[in-house]
Amino acid sequence: MNLFHTKYLVFLILVLFAAFLPMYIGEYWQYVLTIAFFYAILAASWNLLSGYTGLFSLGHHSFGMIGAYTSTLLMTKAGIPFWMSIPAGILLTMLMSSLMGIMCLRVSGLYLALITWAFAEVARNYFRLHYTFTGGDRGLESPLLFGTIQPTPYYYLFLGLLIATIILIVLIMRSRIGYYLKAIRDDSIAARSMGVNIVRYKIFAFAVSSGLAGMAGAFYGHSIGLISPIMGDFNEMAMIIIFVVIGGIRTMPGPVIGAIAVRILMELLRAQSEVRILILSLLVIIIMRFFNGGLLELYRQIKQWINKDKNGGTSAYHEIETPKQGES
Amino acid sequence: MNNKNNILEMDNVVKIFGGLKANNGVSFEVEKGEIRGLIGPNGSGKTTLINQITGIYDTTEGHIRYKGKKINGLQPDVIAAMGIMRTFQVARVFLNMTVLENMLIPAFTQGQSNNEANTRAEELLDFALLSRLKNKPTKSLSGGQFMLLQIVRGFMRKGLELYVMDEPFAGVHQSIKGIIIKSIKMMNQDKNVTFLIVSHEMATISSLCSKVTVLDKGARIAEGSMKEVANIPEVIDAYLGG
Repeated sequence: MNLFHTKYLVFLILVLFAAFLPMYIGEYWQYVLTIAFFYAILAASWNLLSGYTGLFSLGHHSFGMIGAYTSTLLMTKAGIPFWMSIPAGILLTMLMSSLMGIMCLRVSGLYLALITWAFAEVARNYFRLHYTFTGGDRGLESPLLFGTIQPTPYYYLFLGLLIATIILIVLIMRSRIGYYLKAIRDDSIAARSMGVNIVRYKIFAFAVSSGLAGMAGAFYGHSIGLISPIMGDFNEMAMIIIFVVIGGIRTMPGPVIGAIAVRILMELLRAQSEVRILILSLLVIIIMRFFNGGLLELYRQIKQWINKDKNGGTSAYHEIETPKQGES
Repeated sequence: MNNKNNILEMDNVVKIFGGLKANNGVSFEVEKGEIRGLIGPNGSGKTTLINQITGIYDTTEGHIRYKGKKINGLQPDVIAAMGIMRTFQVARVFLNMTVLENMLIPAFTQGQSNNEANTRAEELLDFALLSRLKNKPTKSLSGGQFMLLQIVRGFMRKGLELYVMDEPFAGVHQSIKGIIIKSIKMMNQDKNVTFLIVSHEMATISSLCSKVTVLDKGARIAEGSMKEVANIPEVIDAYLGG
C-alpha cells in the first residue's frame, strides 16, 4: 500500500510544480507545454485503448480532429455556445468510435490497425475536400475560449484536462472494468469463457479513449484559434505512438512523460529542424532495442542497479523478473 | 432422452468447417454429478465438441441442451454465466496479470464482492499450493502451473455446475497432476460439480470416471465404463487405426 502512497505523493508534487511553473517561465514555454499537455491526453487515452486493452488503433488522432471540427463548426455555423459545442464534439467522437468498435469486433492486430487507419484517412480527406463547409486545407478559424491568445489560461486549462484524464484512466484501470480490459488484451477467448462481455468492454474502451481525444481536440481548437486537416495527418498518429512507446506502454505515467519529454526535446532542437527527426528516430531505435518498456523501464533498471549495489548483488526486483520458463 | 437428471444433452450435433465434418451427429447425455471422460484418437472431434458446448463455435446442426435449455449459439460469456466453466488444452491464462488477478476475473464478472472474491481466491490458491506466487506476474509461472491456475480459476465461479476440461493432465508434472485430480474429486463430492473431461491419459480417466464416451471421426462410437469400452472392437480399431 505504501507504494501507492508514494505514487500519489509524487503525482501531487508534480501537479503543484506544474501549477506554479507559469510564474517562472515565459509565454513561449507556456505555449509549448500547453501543446505537450494536449498530446499527453491523446497519448494517455491511446494507451487505454491500445496499451491496456490491446486494440491497436491507428485512427486515434482523427478523433481529436473530429472533436475540434465538430465544436468549431457548431459554434461558427450554428452559433452554439462553447458549453454545448464542446460536449457535442465529445459525444460525436464517442458515438463514431463506438460504431467503429462494433465494426472492428471481429478483427484484431494488423486488420484492426488497417481499418482504423482507413477510417482516419476518410475523415481527414472529408475535412480537406469539403472545403466550402470546413475550410479545407486552408483551415478553419476557431473562436478562442478565453478570447485571448495569451497562453497562461490555456496552460491551466490543459493542465486541468490532463489531470482529469489521468484520474479517469486510473479509476477505470483500478476498477473491475480495468481487470476486464487487461484480460481482453491478454486473451480475449479466455476472457469470454470467464464471463467477460468482451463486446461491451471493447466498445467501452473505444468510446472512452476516443471521447478523451475528442475532448482534447475540441479544446485544442478553441485554444489555438485555427484548426486544419493536419490534425488528421498520419504523422500525428505516429507521434502519439512514439510518445507512448518512449514513455512506457501499458503504464500510467509513461505516455504523459513520453509526450511531455519528446515535445520539450523537439522544441529544444527547433533550431536544428533537419536533425531533430533524426535524433528522435535514433532515440526510438535505442529505446526499443535496450529498454523496450520505455523511459519507465530505464528508470526501473537504474533503480534495480542501485539496489543491487546497495544489497551486495541481490535485488528485490531480480527475484520477480528472472523465472521466465513458462513464457514460451 | 429427456431425463431430469441430465445436466447436458448432445442431440445429433454436427459441426462442419468448410469441407470437413468435425462432428458428425454426436449424441450423448451427461448426468448431474457425474465425472464423465471424453476420449478418442487425435482428430476425433473432442475439442470441437467442447468448443460448441462453451459457445466458442456455433453448431452447424443439432442441439446442445444444458439443464433442458438449448445453449448452442449462445455467446461464451452468457454460457459461463449459466454456470459452465471450461479449460483449454493449451492453458489460456492472463499472462500480464498477477496470479491473484487471474483468479478474480470469473468472480468479478459474476458480481461477487471484493471481499468474497479475495477470500475464495486465497482458499483456492492455498489448495493449489500457488499462494506464495499470488502477487507474481502470471508469465513467471511454469507450464504445469499455468494449467493448475487455469483449473482453479474456473472454481472461482460460485454455483459452478458443469466444468468442461480439455486435456487437463497433458504435460503437467506428477505432483501437479495429483493436485488437479484432488481438486476434481473434491469439487465433485462437496459441491456436486459435474465434469466432462477430455484426456488421453487412460489410466487417470479410468480411475476418475465411472463412465466414458468414445468419439471417432466426429461420431460417438461407444459409451460405458473404461473396462467395457476397452473391449469394444470399434474402439480398438479407432485407437489402433485398424
